[in-house]
Amino acid sequence: MIDLVWLIPLLPFIGFLINGLGRNVLPKPLIGTIASLAVIGSFAISLSIFLTFDAAQPQVIHLFDWINVGSLSIPFAFQIDQLSIMMLLIITGIGSLIHIYSAGYMSHDTGFGKFFAYLNLFVFFMLLLVMGSNYVIMFIGWEGVGLCSYLLIGFWYSNGAYADAAKKAFIMNRIGDLGFLLGVFLIISTFGSVSFTEIFPKAAGMVSGDATLILITILLFIGATGKSAQLPLFTWLPDAMAGPTPVSALIHAATMVTAGIYMIARSNILFALSPVTLDIIAVIGLLTAVVAAFIALTQTDIKKVLAYSTVSQLGYMFLGLGVGAFTGAFFHVLTHAFFKALLFLGAGSVIHAMSNEQDMRNMGGLRKKLPITFLTMLIGTIAIAGLPPFAGFFSKDEILAHVYEHNKLLWIIGLFGAFLTAAYMFRMMFLTFWGNFRGTEDQKHHLHESPVSMTFPLIVLAILSIVGGFMGVPHALGGHHWLNEYLSPVLAATNNILPALSLDHATEYMLMGISVGGVIISIIIAYVKYVSKGYVPKEEELQSGISKLSYNKLYLDELYTAIIQKPLDALSAFFFKVVDKSGIDGLVNGLGKVSIEASKTLRLLQTGNVGFYIFAMVIGIVAVLVYSFIII
Amino acid sequence: MSTLIVISILAIVVLYLGLFKAKQALLPISVLGLVAALALAIMEWNSNAAPIFSGMMHFDNFAVAFSSICIITTILVFLLSKNYFEKISDNVAEYYTLILFALSGIIVMVSYHNLSMLFVGLEIMSVSLYILAGIKRKDFASNEAALKYFLMGAFSTGFLLFGIALIYGASKSFDLAVIAQYVIDRPTGIDPIFYVGLVLMIVGLCFKVGAAPFHFWTPDVYEGAPTLITAFMSTVVKIAGFAAFLRLFSICFAPLQDFWMPTLLVITILTLFVGNITALYQTNFKRMLAFSSISHAGYMLFAIVALGAASTNAIFIYAAAYAVSSITAFAVLMLVKAKTGSENFEDFNGLAKSNPFLAFALTVAMLSFAGIPLTAGFIGKFFVFNAALAQYHTWLVAIAVVNAIIGVFYYFKVIVAMYFKDNQTKQIATPAYFNFVLGVSLIITLVLGIYPSFITNLF
Repeated sequence: MIDLVWLIPLLPFIGFLINGLGRNVLPKPLIGTIASLAVIGSFAISLSIFLTFDAAQPQVIHLFDWINVGSLSIPFAFQIDQLSIMMLLIITGIGSLIHIYSAGYMSHDTGFGKFFAYLNLFVFFMLLLVMGSNYVIMFIGWEGVGLCSYLLIGFWYSNGAYADAAKKAFIMNRIGDLGFLLGVFLIISTFGSVSFTEIFPKAAGMVSGDATLILITILLFIGATGKSAQLPLFTWLPDAMAGPTPVSALIHAATMVTAGIYMIARSNILFALSPVTLDIIAVIGLLTAVVAAFIALTQTDIKKVLAYSTVSQLGYMFLGLGVGAFTGAFFHVLTHAFFKALLFLGAGSVIHAMSNEQDMRNMGGLRKKLPITFLTMLIGTIAIAGLPPFAGFFSKDEILAHVYEHNKLLWIIGLFGAFLTAAYMFRMMFLTFWGNFRGTEDQKHHLHESPVSMTFPLIVLAILSIVGGFMGVPHALGGHHWLNEYLSPVLAATNNILPALSLDHATEYMLMGISVGGVIISIIIAYVKYVSKGYVPKEEELQSGISKLSYNKLYLDELYTAIIQKPLDALSAFFFKVVDKSGIDGLVNGLGKVSIEASKTLRLLQTGNVGFYIFAMVIGIVAVLVYSFIII
Repeated sequence: MSTLIVISILAIVVLYLGLFKAKQALLPISVLGLVAALALAIMEWNSNAAPIFSGMMHFDNFAVAFSSICIITTILVFLLSKNYFEKISDNVAEYYTLILFALSGIIVMVSYHNLSMLFVGLEIMSVSLYILAGIKRKDFASNEAALKYFLMGAFSTGFLLFGIALIYGASKSFDLAVIAQYVIDRPTGIDPIFYVGLVLMIVGLCFKVGAAPFHFWTPDVYEGAPTLITAFMSTVVKIAGFAAFLRLFSICFAPLQDFWMPTLLVITILTLFVGNITALYQTNFKRMLAFSSISHAGYMLFAIVALGAASTNAIFIYAAAYAVSSITAFAVLMLVKAKTGSENFEDFNGLAKSNPFLAFALTVAMLSFAGIPLTAGFIGKFFVFNAALAQYHTWLVAIAVVNAIIGVFYYFKVIVAMYFKDNQTKQIATPAYFNFVLGVSLIITLVLGIYPSFITNLF
């Protein structure tokens, strides 16, 4: 089965070609079917590889030699191991569900064919990213998903704000990509290779705290902050909600934004040997988690709440990586993919029913009208809030347990963020599904549950959000943490370096108790405020006190404009007017003029007179002889 | 070695076909014969043949590779010639015969193991070309081109022959292995006439490849000769010249690099600048191609200046990239000229609207000439520069890059004309043969550009 691994990315690529070329010709149902079948096919192969794979060593499937320059060899090869298999399952599995969902959600859109072509292309690049056996293939996928993200955020490009959001995402990602690229260059100069299977054993022999390793890992982490929306580069993700909702679910919740975590987990040995970088990652992750959760508290756009929640959850994953809980962080990637895709798709269902209304202040009381959406979203919300036995509880508590052992202060702040998470998520649920309907009569008249193609993925994801956590039940709760054992070959070298979790069961019970208790209190507070008192946020209240800070996203966009964009604009104006116009243009035009003049003169030498030609040749021969024998 | 025999017999057969007025059979038989010759050549790959014919020739991998590329390019030229020769002359068979004879000379040039065979091959090729350049007997420009080519060619051959004689005088042999041994045996104290002979051979070979300051014949001959002959000369003939050049220097004169390298370095730089700068101001597309071919000779000379293990590979890739792009450029030029009657840049205006495929193929060819990534030309330049950098000729590469930038200007002129200038031209009818050749060239250019590995590791 593993020989067929090349088919996994190829199928979506073929889907992209067919739908891309036939977007205006093929009928909509056929386009949706081709696109979905391509990803489902990849999922089937991934699943069979998952079921049969039992090698302790990563399997590298070499397709062809791609670049051979000097001593550097970059093969086009795929690496299959436990880490990439889990990612394959998530990408193709959730990808399939979202393709099916999109066939219903986008059915009225004129750009249907284009949408599925882009979506297939995204899956193709995402698969390259996780399957590549070296950093260069990974980088191709990395750039490719960035491109698709750009195309899909700006899918409705005739709306200027949406197009701007796409550009913002692209530019902020580029900043991170530069870091990633520099990191790869440094890896090439340090290890003389880009292949994982050559770099990691070499790195494992290096001392902890090696300066080069620290620099490499910091550069790679800068790449991750762009793609995975961490401070200071996270502001693009909320704006990215301009794209169609299935895109938000697939790209900006379940897969692409976790690429940074995947990359760090893939390079775990490099990071394990760079404690300084790990500390930086932990602090940045924690700050992002809390800041984003704080902003999410007052947002009124349902997708914006989910976007900030994604940023915040990604922050927790980085916090996990930073404290050395590689399994825990990756566990959270998996469970988060389930419940966040579910929540986005549910939000999409709500928006669909509300005739494209996204402001929760105009919703309310939808639970009767949209029972399936309501129930599945409730499951997703409980999962993200972290109540047992739902998926989020296990992964989040594993991260927090590691944080507790690592540093108590970080743990307190992280726990506070977790309470905020429960508060804003239930606030969203209460505003949307409880109370009275606050929209227009027209919207009320139009309310309906979504078609089966949309509710089916919701139900599947809801089940996964319930049971997904059982793959990592801790020993304290009588489990044996299957995921930890499954991933242990990938993390073997790291586990030798970083200490294992050594909390006793009593402490773990206490930690779980505190977090569950806090979450329940948060939910109750939210219930009292938004259901019992029936509070609906009003614009002027949001613009006062501490809400003002949260509602305006801590003024980060304005801050960036003031300290980065304005000086850059000024600098760019300076370069344009002074350096470019008079300096470079002058130089280039001058060189051009000189060349053209020289050309005019040289051209005259070509007289057409054979006598002259032979004369010139003789001069040339004499010159060569003189130069060869007398000058040298 | 059966390749050489097949091509020689093929030439004679084609001549007799002409005698019996079997015009329709000329092209199929020529092409089939060449395909057979190509197959025979490729079958000798890695056969580790020893020198044959009393050490006269040696059909090694080098010879196989360059023979193959020359034969393939000739096939492409033949495919373009359908209807073309009939239009300009009654003696169609002679065209095919002469090109085949030239090709047989070229096979000798890329596989010689004896200086006398180098000379014989060169002359078989040159004499055929003198006639081919002037084959439009009633056309003044064609006659002028032939005469100029002949006079200057004869003049330069004299130098080559004199050089060979002097080398023989010093080493007492024409055999490449003996000459190489002569050089190795005498780390000091090589006879001075050997050096003089070496310089004179450089002069003669530089003439054949059209390097400055011995390039004056190129623009006039290229412009005056029938377009298809120009295509043949600027691709197959030039590649053969470089193969002969490289073969001689890598086998015999490598230990003397300190002596000849500075001279060749100056010639290389001069060639680059003369070719590129003069091409800038041309308004005639064909003449621009002539000057651009001079500059490409400059880039290929790079690999000889930086003679080393990577040189053969570098020249081979560069030659392959250059050949397919040239064929494309000349093919489109022939079509445009057939319609508008002239060959200036303005004649390409609006081609993108009337013939999108032609415009696209020509654009890719121009990008490849300019060395833009994802085309074969980029890979060619990359390998040539890489070979030079391996020998620490950093500033030489810097000069070459400046020249590559100059090149972009005139190559893009035609792209600008095709895509951004309007002209109410009607669609040009493209024969199927042309579409085939353009398609093959396009695919080779892109495949080599995207996935070069399958020919970069040949040697």
